[in-house]
Amino acid sequence: MRTNQADDELMAEVARLVNELDPPPPGLVERAQFAVALDDLDRHVELEVAQWADTRTLAGVRGGLPGTITFFVGDLTVMVNVTRTGERQRIDGWLVPAGAHGVEIRVAEHGSTVTTADEGGRFVLTEVPRGTTQLLVRMNAEQSRTVVTPTVDL
Amino acid sequence: MTELQTASVVKPWEGLEGRDRNAACMIAARDGDREAFDVLIVDLAPLVWHVARGSGLDRTTAEDVVQTVWLALLRHLDRLTEPRALAGWLITTTRREANRVHHRATGQIELSPEVAEQTPTTEPSPEHEVLRHERDHQLWSAFHRLSQRCQELLRLTVLAGRAEYRAVAEALHMPHGSIGPTRGRCLNNLRSLYNGDSGS
Repeated sequence: MRTNQADDELMAEVARLVNELDPPPPGLVERAQFAVALDDLDRHVELEVAQWADTRTLAGVRGGLPGTITFFVGDLTVMVNVTRTGERQRIDGWLVPAGAHGVEIRVAEHGSTVTTADEGGRFVLTEVPRGTTQLLVRMNAEQSRTVVTPTVDL
Repeated sequence: MTELQTASVVKPWEGLEGRDRNAACMIAARDGDREAFDVLIVDLAPLVWHVARGSGLDRTTAEDVVQTVWLALLRHLDRLTEPRALAGWLITTTRREANRVHHRATGQIELSPEVAEQTPTTEPSPEHEVLRHERDHQLWSAFHRLSQRCQELLRLTVLAGRAEYRAVAEALHMPHGSIGPTRGRCLNNLRSLYNGDSGS
């Protein structure tokens, strides 16, 4: 039978390791605060959170390299291709199912850029600032459906 | 007019702690106070993070889950009937979301914690810098071979100073009094794994 003191000592070691080796990443709080700071969000609008489709291919993007990222929720898939243009970037996107959905790209401390996809579901945004980025898709087919993504550092 | 000004300066959660503080923030956030929601994130993001990590997610996926959970709270702000139970709601929601993501991510191969540990990530692991001592290394390795339930319980115990213990019990569907004994069993398992490790 172990003493409580032995348990407490081991627990203290576990606490030290967890705090030193696996602390929340720097900026976790700020990025989460940015992700929820959505303007003009109608309380009656159904907000759906998309998932990035493959964290492994995304690792390249998150490491600061442009590339293609895919996210999805329910039946909606959005592919986004990022191309560096000097200090800024160009974002080519493709929404499935296709439709003239509203697309908003929010970049922390740089406001947001809005466009509308064409009937084929394609959209282009140029001169997008780099930084902590979040995408919103406002589905036009079904009223009151807005899809948001977690942030990604582009 | 004076009262209104006072109310806007002294925030309702100031001076409060734990679930009282969470509840005060929740109520203010419902009324549209963005600062209140930001305070909740500051106070409780570490809890959500450790639940996500304790569910076996890598650090990148865990951060996505953290954001997803806060967006879910934003969406459910009006529907959460018990503001004082927020920590429990966050733990439950994080575990559910982590499981959802985990099943999809590991649909091809079920990653064991050992394999996951060896999977290279682009994020430089802080472990090499901090694991100065062999004992640390072996204990950390043993920790990751614990059952998911034990890893989560021990992580939440580490946080228990900030997140309330009762919320942990509720979220783990445990009677309040059984956390101590379960913690003891998890620590014994950790000892066995550690000893087995250093003995081989």
